[in-house]
Amino acid sequence: MVTTRHQFASPLQLLALASAGIILLPLGYVTAQALSADPVVWQRLWTTRIPELLFNTVSLAASVAVVTLILGVSTAWLITRVEIPGRRLWEGALVLPLAMPTYVLAYVYSYLLGFGGPAEHLWQLAAGPQARIFSPHSFWGATLVMALDTFPFVYLLSRSALLSMNVSFEEVARASGVSRFATLWRVTLPLMRPSIAAGLALVILYVVSDFGAVSLLRYQTLTYAVFQQMTGRSDNTAASILSLLLVVIALIFLITERWFRQRSRFYQTTGRYRAPERHRYGRLGTSAVISYLGLIVGAAFALPTILLIQWSLSPEALATIDNRFFGFVWNSAILAAGASTGGVLIGLPLAYLACRRPTLLNLSCLQAAYAGYVLPGPVAALAVLILFTTIAPVFYGSVLILIVAYVIHFLPAGLQSLEPALQQLSPNLEEVSRTLGLGMRDTWRRVTLPLVRNGFVVAWVLMFLQTMKELPATLLLRPVGFDTLAIRVWMEASEEYFQLAAPSALLIVVLSLPALALLVSKDWRAA
Amino acid sequence: METTFEGNLFTPVSSVLELRAVSCAYEPGRHAVQEISFSAREGEILCLLGPSGCGKTTILRAIAGFEPVRSGQLFLSGQLVSSPDVTVPTENRRVGMVFQEYALFPHLRVQDNIAFGLRHLVRSERAARVQEMLRLTGLEGFERRYPHELSGGQQQRVALARALVQHPIVLLLDEPFSNLDPDMAGRMRQELHDLLRRTKTTTVLVTHDHDEAFAMADRIAVLNQGRLEQFDTPEMTYHMPATPFVADFVGQADFVPGTVSHGMVHTELGEFPDTIECKDGTAVVVMIRPDDIHLVPTKGARARVLSRQFRGSENLYTVSLPSGQIVHSSQGSTSIYQAGTTVEVRVLATHTVLFRREDSTG
Repeated sequence: MVTTRHQFASPLQLLALASAGIILLPLGYVTAQALSADPVVWQRLWTTRIPELLFNTVSLAASVAVVTLILGVSTAWLITRVEIPGRRLWEGALVLPLAMPTYVLAYVYSYLLGFGGPAEHLWQLAAGPQARIFSPHSFWGATLVMALDTFPFVYLLSRSALLSMNVSFEEVARASGVSRFATLWRVTLPLMRPSIAAGLALVILYVVSDFGAVSLLRYQTLTYAVFQQMTGRSDNTAASILSLLLVVIALIFLITERWFRQRSRFYQTTGRYRAPERHRYGRLGTSAVISYLGLIVGAAFALPTILLIQWSLSPEALATIDNRFFGFVWNSAILAAGASTGGVLIGLPLAYLACRRPTLLNLSCLQAAYAGYVLPGPVAALAVLILFTTIAPVFYGSVLILIVAYVIHFLPAGLQSLEPALQQLSPNLEEVSRTLGLGMRDTWRRVTLPLVRNGFVVAWVLMFLQTMKELPATLLLRPVGFDTLAIRVWMEASEEYFQLAAPSALLIVVLSLPALALLVSKDWRAA
Repeated sequence: METTFEGNLFTPVSSVLELRAVSCAYEPGRHAVQEISFSAREGEILCLLGPSGCGKTTILRAIAGFEPVRSGQLFLSGQLVSSPDVTVPTENRRVGMVFQEYALFPHLRVQDNIAFGLRHLVRSERAARVQEMLRLTGLEGFERRYPHELSGGQQQRVALARALVQHPIVLLLDEPFSNLDPDMAGRMRQELHDLLRRTKTTTVLVTHDHDEAFAMADRIAVLNQGRLEQFDTPEMTYHMPATPFVADFVGQADFVPGTVSHGMVHTELGEFPDTIECKDGTAVVVMIRPDDIHLVPTKGARARVLSRQFRGSENLYTVSLPSGQIVHSSQGSTSIYQAGTTVEVRVLATHTVLFRREDSTG
């Protein structure tokens, strides 16, 4: 017999600590750089750039929030409470815009709404040859693109709130003599409030950290400014200060989202589940609902996709599909595979320890891994850049530094499927294996790993596909001449070569669909 | 094994499992269980009985090696397996465990679940052992099913088969019937009892249900707030409880106050022999079970019926004595007295259980 005093291997603990360190160190460096900056730099930024950037960022976030609130809640309500033909199809179609990276939607809309574009032509037919529409390169353009791209967050959370809500609440209201509309207003919507708030916080987090749309539409936000400080002025100190500000804002909305999500669980888990009754409208009503949904799905997904397909089939675009193009695909795949493998390897010990031995230390390590959430792409890039130029300048301009940035940035996405997979695994299963004579390592191999494999694979695929379409960090950190699909889309689109950007963009959209299916299927079943 | 020579020397050969003053704590200073000592003989079925949070599962987990021991020693087959300095890993202890939720491996078929710990055997022997267990537990024909395709009772049998196929030194059962409906639980209880007797398996079973403990156990360890209150046969536990807590926990009991004088206890319900030899004037309580109290409706008697609870085979009466003391009486299914009936209360006890008054609150 072998006797041991300490049963739990500490190498795992050390590994988790090291991982948390790798993730937090860059963030620490950015903070240090920002805080140690010359007060003159702070002064300059506060008086010149920051007020404008803050105003732009906050007002964009607010306007997108309002539009997504209307789009998301109304579509969720229609889908769950109204019987329409092809309801199941519409239910899924409303999520599709999430497969569209913001830079792709932005570039399609800068064509559609651009000077001399199709929208302007249509408008001039109606309002006369001199009529102008709003430019896509504006506050309203950015609002439109961001709202169309992010309303599914609100839609998804509202939908699951509506589905899991106890119908009895509404029935009690009706039984007390309250009209259908008043019931919606006084009972249904208040009960959905935490879910809606969580959805909106997610939207705002997304808008605040978006780079793709604002850079193509040339709308100045904090995230875009960090990028410009790094590229145009090579001023990492100013970029750090702006980043710190951005991290604080993102943190606020991340905490808001978590808080409301927890509350929404509390709001919804009362009573037994019964499917809500769906109203049937007359022919007119039904067509109105379908046109409304059609307009939204068309604007956010169908129309852009059709355009991308059309452009991809144009001779100019077809000519670009050569060995160089497959080189970009290969580059994207290599980077994504490296990042997702690294992410899973780092994430698994963190998630396992936090789940099985939830000490303060282990839980903190796991929370540290979620730091990527509050690091918009350019900030993650900046953080890793500062770290490497300080401690290991040899890696500057190598693929490694890029992969580290990806791992930090996308680890949260991976952890979100690793964590539940581990939590669903009862510790009794591992314990019973020990009573049957298997040691720790055999238990891992024969019980733990086979049972978490699915979560493992999902985490890998999600991180792979997210990395595949990542733009700002890639732009900032890639080795010279090392272009990916996302980079090609952005570069061609910046020059308004719409056709040339299309094949890469279309490929990214198509590849994003499976990730979307994985992501949504979890929420779908939960509801 | 790095046990000391003395450790082995003083272990009685007959006990398969022995705990000597075992304490466990989840955090230093806050004991989950304290100074627990008991032992199990070969083939014996022991029950750890107590309310939730009393530490019974902690003891089970300490025996399995999942919980370290803060003080004391734990022996399996005469070998020291747990002490503050030594914790033999679970996989080297040869204990079988059936969890409350059974913990069947969801990715393995019934036969692979049962054969999980038999890797060291050759294929043919493994198959023979599995077949034998399937036959013993009545699971023939289910070997190719997955756990989610089985009913609760069948899942439990698989968990049992998986543990027993290892021929464990001791089998540990954590609330084995709590996930079954009452009807099924009754049947499984009988089946399990027969199976354990047939295989002569030494068993420790955790439960909070005294009926279950009475039906299954050779001896019962009653636990309260991490301490062992009594370790005895079911009959002794019921009739001669060591503490008021045990008296109350294993069945309905009333505690009637009285005073000792001249070797007798004087109470509102009459006089009882002083079995604990107190000084005159000592305040004591007499424990009386409802089946020892008989009611005779009498006009003008000073006790009165407060309420009746019909239980099928009996009527349980709540009776108020003149002093306001409440006692309970179990009467035949057909003796029905209305609330308010005045009754004479007669105690027909073959033995008396006495506690000193200050104990009775604990």
